[in-house]
Amino acid sequence: MTKKKKAVLEETETITKPAAVETVSVEDLRSSLEEIKTYDGVIGYILRNSASAAIDLKDPTKIIDYAILSSSALDAGEELSELFDLGEFKDIVVEGKNIKVLSLTDNENRVSIFLEKDADLEKVLSKLRLS
Amino acid sequence: MDSELYSFALKNTLNEILNVCPDITSAFMFKRDGEIIVGDEKTPEKTVMRVADLFDGILEKADAIGGFKCAVINGSMGRVNVSCMGEFYLVTVTPAKADMNYVNTLTNVLIPTVLKLLDKIHPAPTKIAPPPFEVETETPKVEEPEEAIEEPIQEITMEEKKEAVEPEAVLPEPPVSQLIVENLGGLLVPSDTVRIDNAVLTQWNELYNEREIGEVEIETFDGKSTRCKVKPIKDAKYEGKGIIQMPEKVQLTLEIKKGELVRVKPVIE
Repeated sequence: MTKKKKAVLEETETITKPAAVETVSVEDLRSSLEEIKTYDGVIGYILRNSASAAIDLKDPTKIIDYAILSSSALDAGEELSELFDLGEFKDIVVEGKNIKVLSLTDNENRVSIFLEKDADLEKVLSKLRLS
Repeated sequence: MDSELYSFALKNTLNEILNVCPDITSAFMFKRDGEIIVGDEKTPEKTVMRVADLFDGILEKADAIGGFKCAVINGSMGRVNVSCMGEFYLVTVTPAKADMNYVNTLTNVLIPTVLKLLDKIHPAPTKIAPPPFEVETETPKVEEPEEAIEEPIQEITMEEKKEAVEPEAVLPEPPVSQLIVENLGGLLVPSDTVRIDNAVLTQWNELYNEREIGEVEIETFDGKSTRCKVKPIKDAKYEGKGIIQMPEKVQLTLEIKKGELVRVKPVIE
């Protein structure tokens, strides 16, 4: 295959990828997260995919701890779903004595939302399902 | 309380829960260090170990959220619940359609109740402590007057004698230490006295309720033994090295020499 042909092929592949859809999806997700952040008891969120990451937390000193926790939770959730034949992994909620974390994946996006222990988790989930 | 007793009680509780709640497809408990406390027969040990391993990462960082309380993993066909119950973590796996209120009521009420009961029944520490010496402390009271007054033995009744003898029966078995022989020489060195680590002597002393250990029994691996007086090692360079300093005469008696290993235990009389 000549270099020119290869370049054209790669270009075509890039165009045929649902890049626009994905961008919309990420944007939708981000706007949903921005709205969720205004809910009572929501501390912040971490949104990550292979290309970018967005972190919005009230207490920036805890970013690293929260990021590691969210990553561990998602990894554990995905593996446990496989281990126990739970079907497609939906989400994992890790509840601490003060804070709870909701982590889920949406395509290649990994989302974690941090909430105070009494915050309305169902409201957050509904909003995310609608987005 | 030892973990065997916990396991036994929890195993029964878990079996009962599984009997009344067939929705639970898998249930087990583990400790933070990965030790499996109890598990159902269907779940392989490997799976339990993997779960413990996966949760280790979460538990490590759970301080950031005030410490781990519980976790729920939702899949399209089922869910996994992990609850912290003191030092244990209970894992239950249920299908998506399971009545979670019922399952949670059973697991989150029954198991903590059983754990509390176990703690109340057996509040003993996990490690087995050396036996207490309540009776032994009374021994000097019985013996001292005997020596001081020097009354004839006949005047002590059989019952009193028993009382005086019985405390010996509760003394723990003398601990055996394996030590390396080192020469002990010099002009003023008594030929019937060996020297060992002060730390070992202190341990024995504490074990026997501050009773002074004046003699030890030394046994070689060939079966030869002798009894000697004992004192702590003076030379700092031999301290904490598992050494017994032994005069030549004792070495000759035991037919051993420097560098050989001997068993040493305190003489309790």
